[in-house]
Amino acid sequence: MALSRRRFLLTVPLTGLGAACSSALPRLHGGAPLEIATSKPAGPAKGTILVAMPETVQTREVWTGLRDELARDYDLVAVRVEGREAAADIAAAMARYRPNGVVLMNNPTVAAYRAYQQQSGQERFPPAVVVMTSFFDGHLPQLVTATGISYEIPLITVVTNLRKVISSPVEKVGVVVRPSLRGFVQRQAALAAREQVQVIEQPVSASPNSSEIKWALRRLKHHIDALWILNDDRLLTPRLIVDGWLPGLNERPYCATIVGAAALVSPQQSFGTFAVLPDHTALGVQAAGILFDLADNNWALPAGAPVQLPVSTTTTVDLVQVRERFTLRADGLQHVDRIVE
Amino acid sequence: MNEAGSEPATGGAEPKLLVFLHTPLKQRAFQGQLQAALPGVAVSAVGRPADFERGLEDHPDAVLTLPMVLAAHHLTATLQGLHRGAAEEAYVLAGVDAAPDPARVATVGVIDVLGREGMSAFVTSLLGAHPKVERVTKVEDLLPLLQLQRVEAILLPARLLEEVAAPSRLSLVPRVLAAKVGLPAVASLGSGGGRVVQGVRRLPPAVTRELGVTEWR
Repeated sequence: MALSRRRFLLTVPLTGLGAACSSALPRLHGGAPLEIATSKPAGPAKGTILVAMPETVQTREVWTGLRDELARDYDLVAVRVEGREAAADIAAAMARYRPNGVVLMNNPTVAAYRAYQQQSGQERFPPAVVVMTSFFDGHLPQLVTATGISYEIPLITVVTNLRKVISSPVEKVGVVVRPSLRGFVQRQAALAAREQVQVIEQPVSASPNSSEIKWALRRLKHHIDALWILNDDRLLTPRLIVDGWLPGLNERPYCATIVGAAALVSPQQSFGTFAVLPDHTALGVQAAGILFDLADNNWALPAGAPVQLPVSTTTTVDLVQVRERFTLRADGLQHVDRIVE
Repeated sequence: MNEAGSEPATGGAEPKLLVFLHTPLKQRAFQGQLQAALPGVAVSAVGRPADFERGLEDHPDAVLTLPMVLAAHHLTATLQGLHRGAAEEAYVLAGVDAAPDPARVATVGVIDVLGREGMSAFVTSLLGAHPKVERVTKVEDLLPLLQLQRVEAILLPARLLEEVAAPSRLSLVPRVLAAKVGLPAVASLGSGGGRVVQGVRRLPPAVTRELGVTEWR
C-alpha cells in the first residue's frame, strides 16, 4: 500500500470512534446557558423541548431533524453542553426553560445530566431522550425518566446493507469481542437470526494485545462471509490497529469488514471495507417521534419504554478494496451514500 | 442538513427542477441519473418534506413529485406520469409471513411525503383505519422497520416491494389495497418550467422506470 500503516493512523480519529467528537470550545460554569439554536412555532407552543448538545457536525444534523419535525408545535432550545463536568450548565438551562422534554446528545452530556439529576435533590424530572450515546442498548445509564435511541447500528441492518452491495452471500458474520460487550453482541445476534445470519464470536481478553487480535482474526476468517468490527475503543487503539488488525486483515483469505466509523474506510489502507453509520438527520426525526409520543402521553414516560434501535443509516464503501477482493453487484454502488477510492 | 447533493440549484440561466420522490436508489445516485438525463436543467433531489419546503422557497422553475404533495402545497400538475395509460398506481400493505389485515393492523411504516399529520391522514384514507404511523424518509428504511419489529406492516407502492424485499430473508407478504395513489407529476412554477417539462417528457425509459412511469400526458 502507498500509505504506511502509521501514516494511515494519523488520518484516523481514534478516540470516541462511536461517539460524536466534541469541539474544544470553552465551557460555561454555571452562568446563563449558552443558546446555540432556537425555534418557535408561528402559533402558540404546545410546550418546550430543551436540547443539550455539544457543537459538532453530527449533533447539528440531529438538531436539524428534531427542528424540522417539532418546530411547528414546540419551542425548541438547544444549549451548548461540553463535557462531563457541565452539570451546572444543565441545571441553569433546566431552571430557565422548564422544559416538558429533554434531548441529550452524546456520552459526556448524558454523564453531565446524570450528575445534574443526582445533585438537584429532586425526584421528578421531565422525560429525557438520549441519542448518540455509545452502547446505550439494553440498559439506561442510571438516569431518572429517560429513554432513547442506541447509537450502534443493528447488525441486521448492517448485513442487509452489505447484501445490496456485494454479490457473495452474507450468512456468517464474525466478530472479535471482549467480555464486556458479549451481551451486546448476543442481543444483536438474536435479532440478526431473523435474517438467517449466524454470528460467530471470537472472544478475546479484556485487554488484548496485537498477537491476540491476529490470532482471533486467523481463527475467524476461514469460517465467515464478513467481519463486523465493533466500535470498541479498547479494541481499536492505534497500536492494535497497526500491529494486530491491519496485518490480520491483510492476510488471505480476505473477508469484507464492516466498521462503524467512516474514518476507518480508507483506500490507502485496507481496514474497513464498508462503514455503516447512523443517518444523523434521520436520528433527529426518530427522536422527534419519541417526543411526539411522550407529548401524547402527557409527557409521562410509559413504564418499560424500550430503547429504540436506529432505523436509518448511511453507507461508505472502499471501492479500491472491493474491486481488488470482492465482486460488486451490478447496481451495488447505487446503494451506497459515499464512495472512497 | 440537506441530503447529499440536495442544495437547490442557484445561478445561471439553467431552469431549476426540484424533485421530491423516493426510489430504491440512494439520493446521490438518483439525482445523478436525473441530472444526466436532463442536460441544461439544474436538478435538485430531496427526500424529506422539510427539505422540499426549503427547496420551494428557492423558487424552482418546476417540481417533480407525487400529486398528493402538489395538492398539499396548492400546486397544479402540468405533466402527469402514466403507467400503461393509468395515472394512479397500486399500493400494498406488506407484513412478515402473512398478509396484514388493513382494518386490524396497529402500526404501519410509510415513506414520509406529507409530514406527521398528513401521513396519518393518507394512511387512514388507504386503509380505512387509524393505525400508529411510523414515518421514514428513504425506501430502504422500510425494511428495518419490519426487521426491528417497530411496525406490523409497511405501506408502499406495489412496484417497490420486490426491491425492498430483495436483500432480506424475511418473507414479506403483500395485500394489494383497493385504493390507488397518483403517479409522479410535474408542476411548472416559473419561466423555465416549460423547458423542464419538455425535458421530462423525453426522459429515457431507464429513468422513468425508477419513477413507476411509462409515459407522460
